[in-house]
Amino acid sequence: MKTYQKFLLLTAISLATACAQDVDPTEPISAVNYFVPKLSPTLQVAGFPQPERNMISVEGVDLGKKLFFDPNLSANGKVSCASCHNPELAFTDGVSLAEHGVSGEKLHRTAPAIFNLAWQTEGLFWDGGAHDLESLNFGPLTHPDEMGADLDEIITYLEHDPAYKKQFNVVFPEEQIESAQVSRAISQYVRTLISQDSKYDRWQRKEESLTDLEIKGYQLYQKNCSSCHQEGLFTDRSFHNNGLDKTYLNPLELEGLYQGRFRITSNPQDMGAYKTPTLRNIALTAPYMHDGRFQTLEEVLDHYQNGIQLNESLASQLTNGIAINQQEREALLAFLATLTDSLFIHNHHPKSN
Amino acid sequence: MKNLVYTALLSSILMCSSCNDVEVPATMAMDISLEHKLDGQTLELNGKSFTLPSGEDFTPKKFKYYISNVVLTNTQTGEMYEEMDSYHLISEDGNKSIDLGMIPSANYNQLTFSIGVDEVANGKTDQTGDLDPNSDMAWNWNTGYKFLVLEGEFTNKNTTERQGLILHIGTNPNFQTITQPLTGVRAGKAISLILAADLDELFKDPNTLQLSDLESTTIMFGEMAAKVAENYSEGFITVK
Ligand code: HEC
Ligand code: HEC
Repeated sequence: MKTYQKFLLLTAISLATACAQDVDPTEPISAVNYFVPKLSPTLQVAGFPQPERNMISVEGVDLGKKLFFDPNLSANGKVSCASCHNPELAFTDGVSLAEHGVSGEKLHRTAPAIFNLAWQTEGLFWDGGAHDLESLNFGPLTHPDEMGADLDEIITYLEHDPAYKKQFNVVFPEEQIESAQVSRAISQYVRTLISQDSKYDRWQRKEESLTDLEIKGYQLYQKNCSSCHQEGLFTDRSFHNNGLDKTYLNPLELEGLYQGRFRITSNPQDMGAYKTPTLRNIALTAPYMHDGRFQTLEEVLDHYQNGIQLNESLASQLTNGIAINQQEREALLAFLATLTDSLFIHNHHPKSN
Repeated sequence: MKNLVYTALLSSILMCSSCNDVEVPATMAMDISLEHKLDGQTLELNGKSFTLPSGEDFTPKKFKYYISNVVLTNTQTGEMYEEMDSYHLISEDGNKSIDLGMIPSANYNQLTFSIGVDEVANGKTDQTGDLDPNSDMAWNWNTGYKFLVLEGEFTNKNTTERQGLILHIGTNPNFQTITQPLTGVRAGKAISLILAADLDELFKDPNTLQLSDLESTTIMFGEMAAKVAENYSEGFITVK
């Protein structure tokens, strides 16, 4: 795409110079190293989707990483993306509803894990309202209860920081830093957060074995959970009502926030439906569900067994709950623990690279 | 970047065609300015009160909208000029004009433009120029742009209390394209067009809005937003 534009530009310039000699043909050509991350077959994905307008490069990812961990982007200089998406907790924050944004006000939803999002092409956020990472990032950057930033002030800060300025000029062709580039760089970094080296992955790749208990748990997972938490990414990337609530509050000022995906699609079947979260690294990402209502995986299994609330939009698989006995429960939990990827956590710890 | 490509490309074509001697210059300058009126008076955001078609009083505080995909046509000859990357944020307290620059000369007799942002551009917000999300026209939780924003205060006739009005209209179904006849545009002659935006039309024709009777005066999505969009699809902006 970029080369195509350059080509067009060059043709345009040479055409123009044929008539008038007032265009400088010496456009600086930026040299960045594009790459595609190595993928494990255990992710069960076909390729690495990325938007043509923002192909990842080594330099772009470095810049994005720096931005991700930089609290100076926030209104009070104290909150970075990592404040709510901490690498040690698989990029979550360990609380139900964060109160650590710039305003100290409680958020309405819990911070989801941030990895394997390149494949989340059916929409981001719990209700799928954001089309892509590039568009999403302006949300946390400017939300008054998250980073509360003014985009123009971010640009001023970055323009006046010589190291940033230099990095932006390497990664992007434009002379001036623009908000779009800030978001694109962060997106490049986020797309490289790929978790694919858990014990489960090594087992699938025949590098390690699972215990009998774990294998039993795997079979229970396949039977009861995999229709939504689909093997590979451990999410079907789709939206379901998994029976958390019977009815949904709808205070006017929150614009349908408690109605799940219905707020985005106005489709009655999406009432109370949320994106299926991945089960990868699930042992690290408590509390659980879109509002962090469950503190432990035990509570989650209690919900699936006894807590399902019936209503019109409930996913049909869950009408009768998921009955499992104590032994099966232990097996399932043992299997879920094999989805923890300590290599991923280690590699993305800000101190380890 | 894209902009630059097109300008370079276009100017090269234009420069070359102007190498030949012709009577009518190959290009002509055109700009469009917008005038905002409410209740027959010039719009002001400084606390002045206006009367809405419903008879309710209204003090506007913010008014902005996108004009996009500007096209000029000569319906007889088929000559047409389409502005590239044509997205213009118009606001009462900011920019109120569209400079088309030098465009190919023709006796244009029709102007087409849209209110809002087309589906492609509305599908992402990491954009620049007038689509830069720094203008507070991008929605963050539901990717896309607000097409038209009107905010202010009115007196509720039932409660006699002051109440806020927030109109944030967007989403693809509310993207509206408008076609207007043009008179007096002559090939090769610089021209300034004036478009009049009549804010009364947001509140009537075909859907009358009686603010005091609305369940919510924060109108962003759903049925009410669609009604306002239907209102602005005709009679809201006209060539003066
Ligand atoms: C104050 C806490 C907080 C901060 C700071 C924050 N986030 Fe989030 N993030 C959240 C919450 C809460 C959600 C879920 C919002 C929703 O779905 O409605 C979220 C959702 C996301 C998602 C969607 C993930 C998915 O699976 O759909 C991404 C991506 C993301 N954030 C990236 C970022 C980036 C990049 C930054 C820094 C620019 C950032 N966040 C800063 C709390 C935060
Ligand atoms: C009908 C689809 C469906 C089935 C079947 C299903 N889930 Fe879920 N699961 C979801 C959805 C959707 C959510 C998110 C709901 C929300 O937050 O409102 C979820 C959330 C979770 C969470 C919380 C994840 C987080 O990051 O907060 C866990 C853990 C979980 N499910 C485990 C399981 C297990 C274990 C099974 C099988 C016993 C199972 N699920 C079966 C759809 C399903």
